[in-house]
Amino acid sequence: MTPMFENLQLATDDLPRIETIEWQRMAPKYVYRRLAGALLTLLFIAVGMGVAHALLSIAAQGGESDVSFGWLWLGFAMLALLLIAWPFISVPRMFYAVRQRDIVFRHGVMWHAVTAAPFNRIQHVEKSSTPLDRKFQVASLQLYTAGGSSSDLRIHGLPAKTAEKLRMFILDKIGGSIEQD
Amino acid sequence: MNKTENKRWQRTSPFAVIYYLGRILKGIAKNAVQSLAPLAAAVVAFEGDLKTRIGYAVAVLVSVVLAAALARYWFFRFRIGANAVLIREGVFRKTQTDIKFDRIQAINTQQNIIFRYLNLVTVTFDTAGSSGDEGRLPAVSLALAASLKERIRRERPVLLEEHEETSAPARTLLSLGTGDLIRIGLSDSRALFLLLLIGPVAERLEESVGDFIDSSSIFSSFRDLDISLWGAIGLIIGAIITLLLILLLASVLAAVLRYYRFTLTIDNDVLRSQGGLLTRHEHAVNIGKVQTLAAAQSPPLRLMRRFRLQARQASSGKASRSSKFIVPLTESAELGVISSEIFGEEFPQPDLHPASSRFQRIDSRYVRSRTVAFGVVPATIFTTLLLYPLGWYALLALLWIPLTVLFSILLYRRYGYYFDDNGLVMRNGFLGVRVIAFLHRKVQRVSIVQSVMQKRRGLANLKFYLASGSVQLPYVSLELASQLRDFVLYRIESSQRPWH
Repeated sequence: MTPMFENLQLATDDLPRIETIEWQRMAPKYVYRRLAGALLTLLFIAVGMGVAHALLSIAAQGGESDVSFGWLWLGFAMLALLLIAWPFISVPRMFYAVRQRDIVFRHGVMWHAVTAAPFNRIQHVEKSSTPLDRKFQVASLQLYTAGGSSSDLRIHGLPAKTAEKLRMFILDKIGGSIEQD
Repeated sequence: MNKTENKRWQRTSPFAVIYYLGRILKGIAKNAVQSLAPLAAAVVAFEGDLKTRIGYAVAVLVSVVLAAALARYWFFRFRIGANAVLIREGVFRKTQTDIKFDRIQAINTQQNIIFRYLNLVTVTFDTAGSSGDEGRLPAVSLALAASLKERIRRERPVLLEEHEETSAPARTLLSLGTGDLIRIGLSDSRALFLLLLIGPVAERLEESVGDFIDSSSIFSSFRDLDISLWGAIGLIIGAIITLLLILLLASVLAAVLRYYRFTLTIDNDVLRSQGGLLTRHEHAVNIGKVQTLAAAQSPPLRLMRRFRLQARQASSGKASRSSKFIVPLTESAELGVISSEIFGEEFPQPDLHPASSRFQRIDSRYVRSRTVAFGVVPATIFTTLLLYPLGWYALLALLWIPLTVLFSILLYRRYGYYFDDNGLVMRNGFLGVRVIAFLHRKVQRVSIVQSVMQKRRGLANLKFYLASGSVQLPYVSLELASQLRDFVLYRIESSQRPWH
């Protein structure tokens, strides 16, 4: 028997195009989840800087401190502005779409990326949520494919219930065992 | 029951102690400071004659290493089960490893000079997606290794084209001779790297050597010997050339040790390489499991018109020696033969020669964009920052811009790609050149990435994630990138063949 060899001609225009799919937005609360995360980070930095400022001021009571905290606080204010504004800029630019045979994720502000992960290449799927995620009822989905961590696709900011539904849907597609939460 | 199957736990040959001694000594050499620090501390701390103390220290070290090797042999057991190899090992930390036969990609063997006389071999199991070797059986009989290989061959899933019960005899695709070994040694990039390091220094040598000679007491003695400035420069250049020659000789020696009598054979669907002077290495790869095939030419290899081939299997992302199958030297004609064997009729005759006329260029705006990002922006920032402390000298930082233009043009000219319905071939490089080929259906996921500027100009980077790493095709039109992505997705989702 001769080896089976398929080489069918395809009309590339007839292939399903990602550009035509209907994108789903991330959870509306995800912006506030990111904002809360940013505020916690800023609080942590502010407390650290405040303590350092106080200690250095006490130590330099006899003379003048070498560290100019005015500039540092100005830098902190600029960082705060960026971190607070970023969720409102980046989250509205994040979308996902589930098709019959793959899942597509679109994100990025400066670098705009569209990534498609076919279900028949996904090895396993993981849903995760931090305490802050749970507070805002959002979750992340990590899709593991072969080739190490650089090949994995992580989708943050899905509504918690959607993330669970997606996990079960993908597990069903890849033929894994389904354990409900 | 299968021939290899054995329900009892068994030990390997007592000669495995030699293997463990080698591993322990290698470990000590790798972490010399940490490993020998306690012993050095003891030598310093104890009183008495230094020679006696060093003697005791060496005796302790030898005893500990011997005891460790014996213990590791003693606690190593293995069992060939119905569908897996089970390994129990460890002196203090006990581990049990179950290696399922269907996960084993290939069985590799190593045979050092002692094992060769004893007909023993060290077997390494190469499994899909593991960061390194998952299991080893040191010092087992050649018969056991052969039966394990046969077992793995039979465990492989039956592919569509394997319905026929044909068993073609093994064919030799490539054999390396003495001249080839010298070429491999000469093309070693480490010697070239040293040459590159010395290059810019050598230019400044002429100026600084005079000052150095004046201040150096060593050279003052040469002055007494009435050696001129040019004589001293000649002496230094002579020393550098000698160093380079020694380095090149070491590279050639290393090539002889690793690739002596190197042969590449194909046995049904398994590519197998064998070679080595003292330790004979046998590395095998199942053709179906190859994810990418790359032909690379470093500058010395370009001069010699030879290539280095690398077939990569699935890896966990970490650089793993076992996931790479290397053919150290091929000629242009052999390149075509090997790539045809690997891709078969699925991707007929992918031309991996960098000069192939099939390559198309990426968009020329790559040069401008790269120059702005890596040249104009950093040079302007540096000039502005340095203007106050350095004055007009800060403008010298702007020289970085023409250099970036030059580098960008070099990179742009190296980039090339072509594809058909089955696979894609991409060429890139800077001083050297690398051509990588893969089948569309082997891709794990695919991304299109655009910067703000690329978006404005309708350009995009297309990134393919494979089980062996990622391949990025930069600066192609968004239309082409989208079409290719959709087609690759179609191929992945419609292919019934296993990707590994």
